[in-house]
Amino acid sequence: MSAGYIDELHEAFHSDLVYRSEEIPLECSPRPKEMEQTLHGVMKLNGLVIRSLEEIAGRGANAVTYRAGKKFGHEVAKYFQKREDVEGALHELSDLLRGQYSFEVWKPEDKETFIIEENGETFIYLVFHDCIVRQTLRRNGLDQGGPLCQTLFGYVVGAIEEITGRKAKLEIVHTGPNACLKKLVLK
Amino acid sequence: MEIHVDKDACVGCGLCVKDCPMHVYELQDNVSVAVRPNNCMGCLSCHEICPAQALEHRGIYAARRHYIDIKVCEMLRKVV
Ligand code: SF4
Ligand code: SF4
Repeated sequence: MSAGYIDELHEAFHSDLVYRSEEIPLECSPRPKEMEQTLHGVMKLNGLVIRSLEEIAGRGANAVTYRAGKKFGHEVAKYFQKREDVEGALHELSDLLRGQYSFEVWKPEDKETFIIEENGETFIYLVFHDCIVRQTLRRNGLDQGGPLCQTLFGYVVGAIEEITGRKAKLEIVHTGPNACLKKLVLK
Repeated sequence: MEIHVDKDACVGCGLCVKDCPMHVYELQDNVSVAVRPNNCMGCLSCHEICPAQALEHRGIYAARRHYIDIKVCEMLRKVV
């Protein structure tokens, strides 16, 4: 390694900044625009972890990530207001997911209401628009619907269960490049 | 949601008909027609699968897109 290179590195990581422990930064640094490379790095890393997990654990990977997501959903939603009504719970959920995921309730045109009863099941369709999981998967050329999606799935189920105090289940109906359709089954 | 199919571009392969989970399209005289546009939930799978790029959606919510490859885009910007 040349001395010039070492000096260059030292130069890059040297500053005259005085950093005091009581000075808590109030903003992220650097600015969001400059974080693009970091975001891509995180997405690539996530993709790598998921790909390796799938290789090692096979189909079991989905169960692991679903469970992890569900646990996390319960943990996070513990601090949210408890709601018995589904509409209120979905409101709480969208606050919880803000900035990373966005969704809306949706119904096909032949259905009268958003809460649908069919074949003895009561469910609501949710269309997920913005989704960091989808971005990560597509960034890495991975299929949608696998273990990383299961983490989000578990997270949503855990949060809904925690908020409503009722058991819930989420099913993937369709995954697309711009939005995904999910079915929230209420028990 | 308004969906337009470019009739001159459509090759009648029927891929959008098969792929759309909401059964929005039907093939009529070898051309795709959006017969149930109100059932569209904006996944854009049909755009991805259509080999003729014959589809257009108006009034759609475009999800945030971070999955572009920065390096590829930088190269493209230089060329285009
Ligand atoms: S965007 Fe999705 S739901 Fe809408 S027409 Fe295309 S495939 Fe069907
Ligand atoms: S996928 Fe494209 S080319 Fe094929 S039928 Fe549909 S609109 Fe036409």
